[in-house]
Amino acid sequence: MRKTLVVAEMALREISRRRGVLILLALLPLAFYYSRRGEAYWQSVRFVSLGIGWTLSTAALFAGSAARAIEPRLRIAGYATHQLYLGRLVALWTVGLALALPYYLLIRLDLDSVRYDAIALILVLTVAVAPPLGLAVAALLPRELEGMLVLLTIVAMQMMLDPDKAVAQVLPFWFTREIGTYAVESGAGTEHVSRGLVHAATALAVFLAVVALATTLRLRRRSHISIA
Amino acid sequence: MTVDDWLAALSAELRRRRIDPAGPVGEAAAHLRNSGQAPLEVFGPPAAYAVAVVDSLRGATREPRPPRSGEPLLRATGITKRYGRRTVLDDVDLSVHAGEVLAMIGANGSGKSTMLRICAGLLSPDAGHVRLGGTVGYCPQSGGTSDFLTPDEHFVLVGAGRGVGRTEAKARGRSMAAALDWAGAPRAGETRHLSGGTRQKLNLILGRLGDPDVLLLDEPYQGFDNGTYLDFWQQVLRWRDAGKAIVVVTHLLNELDRVDTVLDLTPGGAR
Repeated sequence: MRKTLVVAEMALREISRRRGVLILLALLPLAFYYSRRGEAYWQSVRFVSLGIGWTLSTAALFAGSAARAIEPRLRIAGYATHQLYLGRLVALWTVGLALALPYYLLIRLDLDSVRYDAIALILVLTVAVAPPLGLAVAALLPRELEGMLVLLTIVAMQMMLDPDKAVAQVLPFWFTREIGTYAVESGAGTEHVSRGLVHAATALAVFLAVVALATTLRLRRRSHISIA
Repeated sequence: MTVDDWLAALSAELRRRRIDPAGPVGEAAAHLRNSGQAPLEVFGPPAAYAVAVVDSLRGATREPRPPRSGEPLLRATGITKRYGRRTVLDDVDLSVHAGEVLAMIGANGSGKSTMLRICAGLLSPDAGHVRLGGTVGYCPQSGGTSDFLTPDEHFVLVGAGRGVGRTEAKARGRSMAAALDWAGAPRAGETRHLSGGTRQKLNLILGRLGDPDVLLLDEPYQGFDNGTYLDFWQQVLRWRDAGKAIVVVTHLLNELDRVDTVLDLTPGGAR
């Protein structure tokens, strides 16, 4: 546990020193929010969570790519593979919660007639899913530019596709629409929340599994080594 | 000062000190050609480097060491590695006991770094086996550090992996930094602001942190100034005397008479 927390602490320090990235992290969801605030305020809730999802997964992508240089050394120094990726995830989840809180307060002050608890749930689930998504993409696509384009494509498709289509439902942030419906439509039932929760839990499990598998493979103890 | 001017000046300085310049000048020229770096940046002024060469040659006259017995701390047998159709390592053996230094030499592309990564367990060979008798410290040729962390934070991070507490890790890291003529380590900022040579000092310290039994050093002196380069070899000899098994990948052949074993990975080289 101590080793995981040390990795988390150092990952947090690294992220906090990327001031330019932090400013963009903070402002980009705001742009998403206000892009829909005027004519379709109910969509602004979903857009702000997609904005947070995109910026947070992109930050995770860069953090995962940067960690590749030092992780082999840390593995040799005695870290288990899971301590490395869990530590990084803890740091990214912390950043995500710090990012999402002001947006929750903004919605709370700016929007009436919505279910605030459902909006809080959307933001928490977005913060939960986005970092494993970014780390999973970083694990599969070592070059940052390719990874960023993939994330951009995912979020753009999530925004543009008809949410009833099957392809939209397999995208990682479909739950924002589903729980968002419950949050903004007074007549919507709790089945939207149930479906959204199942979707978010599945997405989280899949991305965590990809991160764990890819990192374990990359940093595995090689079979040609034996310790006397 | 151009490379040719610097080499000519070094040659003159060595002659002045009654040293045949052919060997050291040839090695320096090869290193400069391979690294593409400026001579003043790598070796310092010709006169100072000539002094270092003389010191190094004097340091080489020492008592022969008795052959080691018992199980080696690092033994690699039958290591073969291919990249596509190209065989980089072909049935290479390597053995280093406690208290021994092995220098791994060879032309560019001869597989020195590959061999070291295989010994560290970072890369799988196509054939062969590595047996380790203790913990391993690895210093890569470049990288291995985080741009946005300070040296102290690196010490804490790597130290925690080896079970060394925060305060102790910082103290050990700073002490090793001072031994490499880097007294400013405690006040240093983020690694991205460090010079190439200072970053490499950090890299070397991280490889040593936690006192591993086997040290694998891949040209760790890249960018070191002249004084630090000499400090580095003094450190290596001290670690050897403390019972560590050390492998150093090197281009600088004037240090070979200070090591116990030389493994030449050039095809047809001495093994």
